[in-house]
Amino acid sequence: MTHPASSVQRLLKQWGDEAVIFDQASGDTHYLKPFTLAVYQACCEHPGYNEEELAGVLATRIGVSITPDLHEWTQTTLDSLHTIGLLESA
Amino acid sequence: MKLLQLPPEELNRQLAGAGVWMRTGPFSLKIQSRIPSVAQGLAELYGQFEVRSMREAFADFHVSVNPPSGLRGWLKPQATFSFDGSQPFKPLPRDQAFPMLEWGLNWCVSTQAHQFLIIHAAVVEKNGLAAILPAPPGSGKSTLTAGLAVSGWRLLSDELTLISRKTGLIHPLPRPVSLKNASIDVIRQFSPDSFINRASHDTIKGTVAHMRPPRESVRRQHETASPGWVLFPRWVPGAPTRLKPRSKAQTFMFLAQNAFNYSHLGADGFRVGTNLIDQVSCYDFEYSDLHEAIAAFDELASAAPNA
Repeated sequence: MTHPASSVQRLLKQWGDEAVIFDQASGDTHYLKPFTLAVYQACCEHPGYNEEELAGVLATRIGVSITPDLHEWTQTTLDSLHTIGLLESA
Repeated sequence: MKLLQLPPEELNRQLAGAGVWMRTGPFSLKIQSRIPSVAQGLAELYGQFEVRSMREAFADFHVSVNPPSGLRGWLKPQATFSFDGSQPFKPLPRDQAFPMLEWGLNWCVSTQAHQFLIIHAAVVEKNGLAAILPAPPGSGKSTLTAGLAVSGWRLLSDELTLISRKTGLIHPLPRPVSLKNASIDVIRQFSPDSFINRASHDTIKGTVAHMRPPRESVRRQHETASPGWVLFPRWVPGAPTRLKPRSKAQTFMFLAQNAFNYSHLGADGFRVGTNLIDQVSCYDFEYSDLHEAIAAFDELASAAPNA
């Protein structure tokens, strides 16, 4: 299960389907490309969802079928968001 | 009083003595130097800038460029830049004393003036809107900036875009435009009436010369501008002039990475930078012909809502 790291420490600015996010704890700024932003927002809206549940949310949100590729991309993106400290495990 | 009103002997005397006080954009400087080429560079390029008696005025930055002390200065003529008594750089050949002053002044602003978010980018203005031109060396940024500055655009800066943290407005710092290598002759041919000083060769940036900032840009050096565009220029031989919209989020990331003090400002740097991007249109700009490039900029300015 995944949920966003404490949101008070981060500032997010979205333009269209992309965003930038500033992590006040680390001082780092990250660029979120469209799919990464969608995954991050799904995690914020559904804290505690696992990868499978998040893939379902994303499929509805971006209008695609739930496929093995979608699962793989979702997992890869979750891993990246964990690595940069924007998500933490429950 | 303007610097050009100081007789050359008086400028030399003050410069070699207590120094000359001068106002450039939002900053006041005290410059002291015993090197004749520094006096010559100031006389040639800073004539329109305000000077005052050292005794009357406070200065933000106290800088000097002088021969190093000791034996070294006798063996090989060199120049050393000092800021508030410290020497942040290694000495350079004395032939590079004036460019060293320019680089040193840029360093002072970029490391001290944290009332601004400072982006490494040229910036010009028309009809109240600023076009910010961030780009890596070799992209044709300085050539384009100089061309625009002599073609009806107001020079705000060729190196440092100063964005007020309080208002989000861009403050001018219209010091001389640094031209490198081939761009020196390009601008000499493009604008034969513009004054470009003697070139310094074999610097870390190659051959460097400075173009005198247009008088009107200096006269309006306290007039801020609103952000209008961020354009990433790229000179490509033979390429047609092309303006291509670019991602705002990626533009923000580039500016953040190329800002001198973004990390230092923390969350406020993020706030100022994202507010800036909210107000601008972002483009990649490819060109090969300077006249066509300026025409494209003029078209952009005419199409702006407040034109």
